[in-house]
Amino acid sequence: MSDPDSSLADLRVLDLSDGVAGAYCTKLFGDYGAEVLILEPPGGHPLRRHGPFPKDRPDPETGALWLYLGTNKRSVTLDIARPTGAALFRRLLAEAEVVVESFPPGRMDALGLGFEELRRIKRRIVLLSVTPYGQDGPWAGRPATNLTAFAAGGQMSLTGEPDREPLKNAGYQAEYQAGLQAFAAAALAAHYADAFDVPQHIGIAAMECMASVLELYLPWWAYLKRDISKRRGNVMSGMVGVFPTADGHIGLHVMPRNWPWFCRALGREDLIEDERFRTNYSRLQHNDELEAIVYAWAAEQKAKDVYRRAGEARAPIASVHTLQDHLDSPQLRAREYFHAAAGCGSGVTMVDQNRSLKAAASGREDAPAFRLG
Amino acid sequence: MERLPLHGVRVLDLTMAWAGPYATRLLADMGAEVIKIEAVNNWDLLRAFTGQPPNVERVWNKSPYFNHVNRNKYGCALDLSHPRGKELFLRLVAVSDAVIENFRSEVMENLGLTYEVLSQVKPQLIFISMPSHGKTGPEAHFIAYGTNVEQLSGLCHLTGYADGPPQKTGISYGDPMAGVAAAGALALARWQRRRRGRGQYVEVAQRENLINVIGEYKDERFADVVSRYRNQDALDAIIAAWTKERTKEQAADALAAAGVPASPVLSVPEVFQSEHLRSRRFFETVAHADAGTWEMEGPHWRFSETPGHVRLPAPCFGEHNDYVLRGLLGLSEEEVEALRTEGITGETPNWAVHE
Repeated sequence: MSDPDSSLADLRVLDLSDGVAGAYCTKLFGDYGAEVLILEPPGGHPLRRHGPFPKDRPDPETGALWLYLGTNKRSVTLDIARPTGAALFRRLLAEAEVVVESFPPGRMDALGLGFEELRRIKRRIVLLSVTPYGQDGPWAGRPATNLTAFAAGGQMSLTGEPDREPLKNAGYQAEYQAGLQAFAAAALAAHYADAFDVPQHIGIAAMECMASVLELYLPWWAYLKRDISKRRGNVMSGMVGVFPTADGHIGLHVMPRNWPWFCRALGREDLIEDERFRTNYSRLQHNDELEAIVYAWAAEQKAKDVYRRAGEARAPIASVHTLQDHLDSPQLRAREYFHAAAGCGSGVTMVDQNRSLKAAASGREDAPAFRLG
Repeated sequence: MERLPLHGVRVLDLTMAWAGPYATRLLADMGAEVIKIEAVNNWDLLRAFTGQPPNVERVWNKSPYFNHVNRNKYGCALDLSHPRGKELFLRLVAVSDAVIENFRSEVMENLGLTYEVLSQVKPQLIFISMPSHGKTGPEAHFIAYGTNVEQLSGLCHLTGYADGPPQKTGISYGDPMAGVAAAGALALARWQRRRRGRGQYVEVAQRENLINVIGEYKDERFADVVSRYRNQDALDAIIAAWTKERTKEQAADALAAAGVPASPVLSVPEVFQSEHLRSRRFFETVAHADAGTWEMEGPHWRFSETPGHVRLPAPCFGEHNDYVLRGLLGLSEEEVEALRTEGITGETPNWAVHE
């Protein structure tokens, strides 16, 4: 629900999408104060059928995924495939800035509601289509899920142990990546349409979103024709990786500049000027020795103690946080990340220059997901 | 054809590594004039990921990782820790739309370049900070890079084999996710600025941004044990017996033809060669003065009216010093030379910084 003081209240988004990607895209709009209206098909939005449910009892109003993604939105039941629904949609469209959809490519056209028709009704409309493979190309119409999109985008091949099967990231990460990208693209296009009167049809393909963030692996292949994309499990080197502690796990991500602080956090200042480890190059040359030092040290530590000590010592080491750790986190509590309602913070604080950051962070309560219809 | 959506929008880009530069790449792809500011003694460490011997000539301009993330941008070397560099930076702020940084949380304050200071110079300025933990709270001063962010978010805890430890994902996942969020926040700040006439300060806390995509708070590995379909293992064995007799492409094609969602697990070189992506012209050719010519992934936000493209190669270190210092700030050739002599600007980074 939009905050009456927010100057995003005049940004109105119609959500026809049926998956996590579209729902996350419009959730972000809603979290920032835009007016989001979900147009649910009769029978309810497909995400209402996703668990987990309290006490494992399926209920269209109580699924955790739906409560999370439905936050800060309104909902109306409307079947755009029927004449009455389509007519209502056209009326809503006249008052909207952005339409988000995730049908198989061509479906909106087949319904007589393609981009050309939408821009005829609303001159400055932004139509955002978010799908696994995009609006054209040989795979455009392929049946797909989060899992298959994650496999196609290259990230799965990089995840997991070298001698085992590749892994999917936890949750709906192909969809969340596409949804986040869709949100940013649509927000940018909405401003442009508003300021310069140019409508836009944006195609977001989850596969391309993922292929555009293959870290250094794709650039090295594209430019050097060197494939360094073999799965490497949890440990990239003695400087980057996830290591077991006595009670859990910690992760290191030590860049060249962090080396002295890292050594101090290990209680091994003697390593700072050790010839074997003096430069990044020499550390990689002696990586076996460095890894052995890190494994042996980590095995004697408690993960949360290391996190605190390393944090104070300005070394990039994090304990692997569980969901309970989030709820207990002094940092997240101090920043009031968790809100009273079902949702949680956006992670992005837009601070009016006349208000303090704290006031902006705490002065908002999320509206819970709307009930069906 | 219409002009690009961010045509004429000048962004002063102080970001380095991946998260911030990915944000500004998205803006640059959409037409923003992104000016990447580095310094002789504080340059983007991605320039050091060269994959080539250090004695290669001007090797800092040949890092493929840097050159992919920083395409479509301009580059200027300016030492913000020097009073003269700071003064020139404030003059640039006066003629820019946005400033974006992803330093450690206290760096801008130490430089005396906070939002309060910059918005005095330009009230319409949008100022985006991307600290890992946020600028407030008891852990604000902790340092975290992309893989740390996923450890802090719960993603690492939840990812892994059923019988295994928490698993690092394949990329520094927190980085690009924060970058996209920052680009989106800039777009909304522009929407608001058009109505209020003034800019604002935006903070993207990378850790919180990533917790958001763990949103529904479900521990999959436990849920899996509780809700696992009966006979799942037997079913897996039957499917595996079928798939093992086929290549991954044959298996996926046969399943897709039967209406079953399926995809081969594509390796990075296979993504690069993908017939689907090629038919969508996803890869574009770039020509770079020092690094030569090759293909890189193009803008993946497919805009119907104003399609983005790779228009400019990533900047060589200090490549646009003259454009920025003389063109935008009106300094004379002698003044720029004096800056060069004092090391406030330059065309050669100090390699020892990231050794």
